[in-house]
Amino acid sequence: MLKKLGNIAALAASLWLPLSASAAELTGVTDTEIHIAQWGPQTGPAAPWGSVARGTGMLFQMINDAGGIHGRKIVYHMFDDQYNPAKTVAGVKELVEKEPGIFAIASGVGTSPGLAVKDYLMERGIPWVGPAAGSLHWITPPQKALFAVYPLYADEAKLLVRHLVEKEGKKKIAIFYASDEYGENGHRGAVAELQRLGLTPAIEVSVNQADRDLKSHLLKLKESGADAVLMWVNPTHAVITLKTAAALQFSPQWATSSTLSDVPLMQTITGGLWKNIIFASFSELPDADVPTVTKYRAAFPKYAQQGERWGVFFMAGIGFVEPMVEGLRRAGRNLTRESFIAAMESIRDYKGVMGAISYGPGQRQGQRAVFLARTDDTGTKVTQLTPWTEVK
Amino acid sequence: MDMKRSYYEDLRLFDTLPLSLWLGVAVLALAAAPAVFGNYPLYVIGYIAINVIVALGLNVLVGYTGQISLGHAGFFAIGAYAVTMLANAGLPILPALLLAGLIAAAFGFLLGLPALRLEGPYLAVVTLGFGLTVETIFAKAAFFGGATGPAVPAFDLVLVPGFSREQNLYLLIVATAGLSLLAVRNLMHTRVGRAFVAIRDSDIAASCAGVDLTYYKTLAFAVSAFFTGLGGGLFAFHLGQVDPTTFNLMLSILFLAMVVIGGVGSILGSVLGAVVISLLNLKLKGLKMADFEQLPLIGHELAGFLGRNFMETGMANIQFIVYGTILVLIMLFEPLGLYGIWIRTKRYWRTWPF
Repeated sequence: MLKKLGNIAALAASLWLPLSASAAELTGVTDTEIHIAQWGPQTGPAAPWGSVARGTGMLFQMINDAGGIHGRKIVYHMFDDQYNPAKTVAGVKELVEKEPGIFAIASGVGTSPGLAVKDYLMERGIPWVGPAAGSLHWITPPQKALFAVYPLYADEAKLLVRHLVEKEGKKKIAIFYASDEYGENGHRGAVAELQRLGLTPAIEVSVNQADRDLKSHLLKLKESGADAVLMWVNPTHAVITLKTAAALQFSPQWATSSTLSDVPLMQTITGGLWKNIIFASFSELPDADVPTVTKYRAAFPKYAQQGERWGVFFMAGIGFVEPMVEGLRRAGRNLTRESFIAAMESIRDYKGVMGAISYGPGQRQGQRAVFLARTDDTGTKVTQLTPWTEVK
Repeated sequence: MDMKRSYYEDLRLFDTLPLSLWLGVAVLALAAAPAVFGNYPLYVIGYIAINVIVALGLNVLVGYTGQISLGHAGFFAIGAYAVTMLANAGLPILPALLLAGLIAAAFGFLLGLPALRLEGPYLAVVTLGFGLTVETIFAKAAFFGGATGPAVPAFDLVLVPGFSREQNLYLLIVATAGLSLLAVRNLMHTRVGRAFVAIRDSDIAASCAGVDLTYYKTLAFAVSAFFTGLGGGLFAFHLGQVDPTTFNLMLSILFLAMVVIGGVGSILGSVLGAVVISLLNLKLKGLKMADFEQLPLIGHELAGFLGRNFMETGMANIQFIVYGTILVLIMLFEPLGLYGIWIRTKRYWRTWPF
């Protein structure tokens, strides 16, 4: 019996040894193609964010129709991970290890799906540009192959607080935030800025993901006497917040983050309550008349699928990935991951549909600037309040 | 058909020679996999194996002891968090895994106490509450890393020198799944396992026959939670990340679906159920419009119908429907689950050509 086991072990061992070292390096680049992948929730609760991945698809189609990059067409592999990290990992591994591999990852929605594949990608030196979440995880510590675009939530909160105090003359600012990483970052930035201005928050109220009745939260906010509330919550909570506030006849100046900057969407789901809201924006407004936006808006009807909407997140799918395209152009015909990363590091003040983007050796947070905008009394028209501003 | 002629024959772990042979082949194939496959197939097999461990554990409770649980994602989460935090505290991986299983088992024992007085829907609600509570506590408490969860340490266990991290992790997961399978099969042949089955069939009769209900019911919960915690611990390394929202109600239901689809009260059923549900879970995400066009006869009409009604923006928004349909069809045509199909196939061939 023991001998038999020994034989089996030897057989198994002999199967392992010769093959285990021979995994060929797949680069995702051929003479005519560059393979790029992205995940994005197309179904499930996070599906509204899925338009980011489709926006990227339109950008790549436009580039291919214009002849590609240095003689190569972009082959875009997009998959639906339903915001489930286990599926993100499976999808990324599948694409990276299947012929001809993946050259780089473009954007990708969500902090936890991104965190689940970050180490895997970085160990293999696979470049990743523009994760679609304003997390500090991407740049602490900076990774050689990870280029962040999305500005930091804390910076958005600081700029909003500064504007409310200095331009709107608000004195009592309350902070209403989600008890997750996104909410915490906004909360931290707001408190720091208030401190700098010699103020303290009127009240700090956090909301749990599972909460659906926000009446007690809003009573606390109202009783604090706040004349402005920084609202750092998810879209569902924003809807409940505004409806409950209307019922309580509580009408402070609301100010909120770039994650709630899709005005037509917010207007629809709040039933027309998205009025007089000040929000931070990480990209040009979708209806802005600047050439970097109009060229895509004009092409949109030709490329978009039926039912698609020209909104801020679809456009962000273009904006997060434009720096990658610029890097591919700068890297030239001799495209390797090294030459691409070197090319990315040479980008300074690149201006597409996002704010100005700069990278450098050791510098991986591309965009720092955001601007503020406000919806009007009808909630349909948006005006820009500040120019692009970097929080120092 | 499976007639046993003596008590000792019934006690044997593997009752037939073909079964032992096939198991041997399976072990060899799984052991050779790291040499043949890249990381992606290893990831998929690992994912399946983790689900097999959980399904085995849950089947001990649901299939063999007749208690329901809608909260196994809670034990799964406890295992994942325990391993992460123990390993972060400096404990080597193997003891951390074992300890994580034991911690989950302790919570299983606690949840087993109310089960003494509750049955059916009442127990379902209690376990449901347990699962939701665990998820919320992990998401809330800063001690557990809050909403993003604690950082999972690198998997540094080396089972075979020269193997990559993924290959070593794969071996650990598959070996644990194999050992769990043996352990559960063995357990069901002991006094304890037979007590479980007696409770399932009639707890009053079992108690009259001398089965201590308090002891065995809580034990069933503890054993079930142990395997689930073990699976959770492996999952933490497998994903390289622990996020409280992963351990939601949907996951508990998925675990239960594995047991029911596979076959309640059957070890082979647990394995089949875990394999099928895992594959559906991972593979349906790639479903595209073109896949429907390829179906014979109805393909073109079906694709048109789906395109008009379900596929906004051209994306296949219907994998949930396909998923649900497959599960309903399995239960409709084979109430015993996949294990029932296996039994009928076996019987057909054994009596063939009659």
